[in-house]
Amino acid sequence: MQKNGKFAKIYLALVFVILYAPIAYLIFYSFNSGGKMSHFDSFTLEHYAAVFEDKRLIGIVLNTVIVALLSALISTAIGVLGAISIHYMRSKAMRNVMLSMNSILMVSPDVIIGASFLILFTLVGIKLGFASVLLSHIAFSIPIVVIMVLPKLQEMSPTLIDAALDLGATRKEIMSRVILPFIQPGIFAGFFLALTYSLDDFAVTFFVTGNGFSTLSVEIYSMARTGVTLTINALSGLIFVITAGLILGYYALKNRPKTPAAGVKR
Amino acid sequence: MIVNAQLAKSGSQAGGNTLTVYNWGEYIDPDLIKQFEQETGMNVIYETFDSNEGMMGKIEQGGTSYDITVPSEYMVEMMREKDLLIPLDYSKIPNFKNIDPYFTDLPFDPDNKYSIPYFWGTLGIAYNPSLLDGQTFESWDNLWDPSLKQEAVLVDSAREVIGMGLNSLGYSLNSTNPAELREATDKLKTLSPNIKAVIGDEVTQMMMNNEAAVSLIWSGQAADMMSENEDITYVVPEEGSNLWFDNIVIPRTVKNIDGAYEFINFMLRPDVAAQNADYVGYSTPNMKALDLMDPEVTSDERYYPDEQAREHLEVYKDLGLEMLGTYNELFLEFKMDMK
Repeated sequence: MQKNGKFAKIYLALVFVILYAPIAYLIFYSFNSGGKMSHFDSFTLEHYAAVFEDKRLIGIVLNTVIVALLSALISTAIGVLGAISIHYMRSKAMRNVMLSMNSILMVSPDVIIGASFLILFTLVGIKLGFASVLLSHIAFSIPIVVIMVLPKLQEMSPTLIDAALDLGATRKEIMSRVILPFIQPGIFAGFFLALTYSLDDFAVTFFVTGNGFSTLSVEIYSMARTGVTLTINALSGLIFVITAGLILGYYALKNRPKTPAAGVKR
Repeated sequence: MIVNAQLAKSGSQAGGNTLTVYNWGEYIDPDLIKQFEQETGMNVIYETFDSNEGMMGKIEQGGTSYDITVPSEYMVEMMREKDLLIPLDYSKIPNFKNIDPYFTDLPFDPDNKYSIPYFWGTLGIAYNPSLLDGQTFESWDNLWDPSLKQEAVLVDSAREVIGMGLNSLGYSLNSTNPAELREATDKLKTLSPNIKAVIGDEVTQMMMNNEAAVSLIWSGQAADMMSENEDITYVVPEEGSNLWFDNIVIPRTVKNIDGAYEFINFMLRPDVAAQNADYVGYSTPNMKALDLMDPEVTSDERYYPDEQAREHLEVYKDLGLEMLGTYNELFLEFKMDMK
């Protein structure tokens, strides 16, 4: 047993090293005074200064974050309601149709989704820009939220609801005090997945950006031909640190010892 | 705050005082955009794309208001055929006279009716003598040298690789003759022992990190390698090779045509073109700009081949979809044959 435990620890450490090594490599070179990622000249902070000087880049980062947060929020709301209604459908056939339609969206190639959105928006007359990017991100995030929430609903015992009804709960209360608290982990998972999907997406976003509105992934892909600059490394380093800080802060708050404050001795 | 400004910027004021430039990423000196804004009082929105095809797709579909874009030469031809370009009014572009006549009136756009060259370059061999035993590459045939086992990487592109095969036999890289194409493909197959990989953008990184000693690559990427790894050098073999162009055009989506002309004329100014070439590191077709640049760069045969070396260079012609299919099939055949 003991030996096994040790092996498991080493294995886990190795996995983390493999996951974090590229990020460490990237951040390491963001301090390189040479212009490239192949050999390290000397330490400098100039690339970080360049990030803060580049108003256009900061604008693009803010665009990306705002679209990600908004699209994740809206798609989570729609996706949760969708999952609940699919789960409580009376006809099995209809439920399967709905689930298949949801899955089709999950497996469709991004390029096709992006191109269809572009055609749709230009036909309907929605101007390419913030609105078109937000709408398309909401649309491709909804299926993910549905997939994340459904298993939680299936886990929930129907007797829970019967019990709540017996105790005199109204429909509203069942929703807000029984169903939603129970599926909460699924909702959060869906929200964060939608957030990452939106931040990462290039293929769909490329088609629907326009009129001065752009996101970070489109900007970075466009640099492929002439080479990505170390400014992007610096920016990635900043984003990584902020993300790590948020997650650590979240755990610190969550695991706060629930003792009464300030010097009460027992 | 910035977001509001961004949203306002991307709002409804296309045309008027706003100019939207659609270009490859990192393909202009950002200081020049600022300078242009200061000189004209215009507000420039700079958007980027990562491929000719993606750019054309967006312009064809409409819904955006790009005033300027920068397609490669074959894409100029395709966009012209699809009627996506505005013919240029040269009375508004007096600085066109600064462009070297050698780069004007080319087959992809006779009389420069729709496009003006922005940057140009060649296709050749970048190699790292420190990893080789003194091999040189004056001729394409040097690539076939048995001592280069598993040393060469090629760009993953049908026109470039089949073109190299054609050039090495002394044929035109725009050949549509099935016998010549067959001969070129068969010759390429005999190169397979020397090929380490056929890849995309990673060629530059592999060469920089000394993971490959020889590569078939465009001069722009070769310039990137050389700036980073001093051992690497670049040569265009004497049998001839491809001459490529990226060009400024005004697409059909234009909202601010006067601004577009002003921008083109600005980019053709010798001081601006020189500064831009310094920043991007590609070769400028602007002969007046050359006088203002570092003589060490402008006299470098690798970036600016002389008249004699240029004689063997050819620009790609649009061979039509069917022929493109043939090229792709032969290229696939060559890749499948690799061990």
